[in-house]
Amino acid sequence: MEQTEIRITAEGKEFRNELMATHGADKLMHCYQCGTCTSDCPVAKRVPEFRPRNIARLAIYGQKDRLLSGDLVWLCAGCYTCYERCPQKVHVSEIVSALRQIALKEGKIHPTIKSIITTIPRLGYISEIGEFENEMRGEDGLPPAPTPAIEEIKAIMKKTGILGRVGGEQA
Amino acid sequence: MKYAFFVGCTVLSRLPGYEKSARKVAEKLGIELVDMPGSSCCGTTYMETLDRKTALALAARNIAIAEEMGLDIVTVCNGCTENLTKTNKALKEDPVLRAEVNEILRETGKQFKGTVNVKHYVRMLKEDVGLDKIKAAAIKPFKGLRVGAHYGCHLLKPSDEMLFEDPNDPQVLDDLIRATGAESVDYPGKTECCAGPVMGIREKVTWDVGMEKVETVKKYGDAMATCCPFCYITYERCQFMTENNPNLPVVHIPQLLGLAMGLSADEVGLGTNKVDASALLAKQEA
Repeated sequence: MEQTEIRITAEGKEFRNELMATHGADKLMHCYQCGTCTSDCPVAKRVPEFRPRNIARLAIYGQKDRLLSGDLVWLCAGCYTCYERCPQKVHVSEIVSALRQIALKEGKIHPTIKSIITTIPRLGYISEIGEFENEMRGEDGLPPAPTPAIEEIKAIMKKTGILGRVGGEQA
Repeated sequence: MKYAFFVGCTVLSRLPGYEKSARKVAEKLGIELVDMPGSSCCGTTYMETLDRKTALALAARNIAIAEEMGLDIVTVCNGCTENLTKTNKALKEDPVLRAEVNEILRETGKQFKGTVNVKHYVRMLKEDVGLDKIKAAAIKPFKGLRVGAHYGCHLLKPSDEMLFEDPNDPQVLDDLIRATGAESVDYPGKTECCAGPVMGIREKVTWDVGMEKVETVKKYGDAMATCCPFCYITYERCQFMTENNPNLPVVHIPQLLGLAMGLSADEVGLGTNKVDASALLAKQEA
């Protein structure tokens, strides 16, 4: 039988502290499990395992492995409905962001999001806007897209170390 | 009126109808939109969930370009609006954070100074141009056209950052729709998210969430109007993912405004919409 007993360990507490030290996630312990976040979540409506209330509860109990398994933390649409409606201002969306940051520290990132992030220093945009695209824009009566200062973008992403963390080539 | 125009990756590369109509409507209203040399991706809404400093620095670099131009920024993307607005607010309010971000920006030769504001196009229309002027410009108004507004999330939320309208009872798109002579219809789930951001994680979730709204709007109206490129793509594409395509026209709000202002279907890029929207033209007064 699956082990469902929930207990906080010393490691769990450490994990929770790390989580709560992340920008926006400091009010985790204010959660009283009312479930407003889950009932209003557009993803929870369709994905049974994505339950913002459960995410908050698991985080309170420092259940790192359960939170960081599979694609759970990558399923948030970032719509901020839970952020807006939480009567305790726990901001589960921000808890999810904090969880993503911890996942990233361990080298975990969803491949789709990795591909988007690593495209930025390569193209300056998240999609190709080169000669062909600008020709098409011309046909639509639009001016060429601004030429992004790719070197500047690379410099920023190199300095913050984000590319190394997402496992993209270090620009 | 003159603004630095931040178009954003998705509109630049995939939605010529949105960009074209936004530029033409601005022209009609005497607004000058100036392109931003060297501008790039705003950072994406994913970035701040992964690394806040990178998100702030990428957005701040773009804001710094507008500062050098001496112009406030106008965007046509909800995601870009959120990133740029949040960054602008955080760095204006927190000098320590600003110094940290400017240190990251040092090599780029750009610095965030905090001298400009950021607005979504629809907010600029309502607050800076005014609904009366827009109504007056609608010389070829719609008659008997029922439109369901879809706001998307990041035009309004998080509301303590965006400081715009109540995300549970937003008005701007309804106001703009009414300014064209069309009726703005209410429908259940109006303020709900399109789930576009999980398209690359669980595609079916996005198509299901999208179809739910498309089918609801179809019950109450003739078309849907949006101000967000990602929502637009979701509501358009989801219709082609089912066998019974409901063929609900989805339009960019400046397309609707432009037609009402007497622009031609071509001038608002109506032919670039994947669901045929030409039925709208039959609902205009001659």
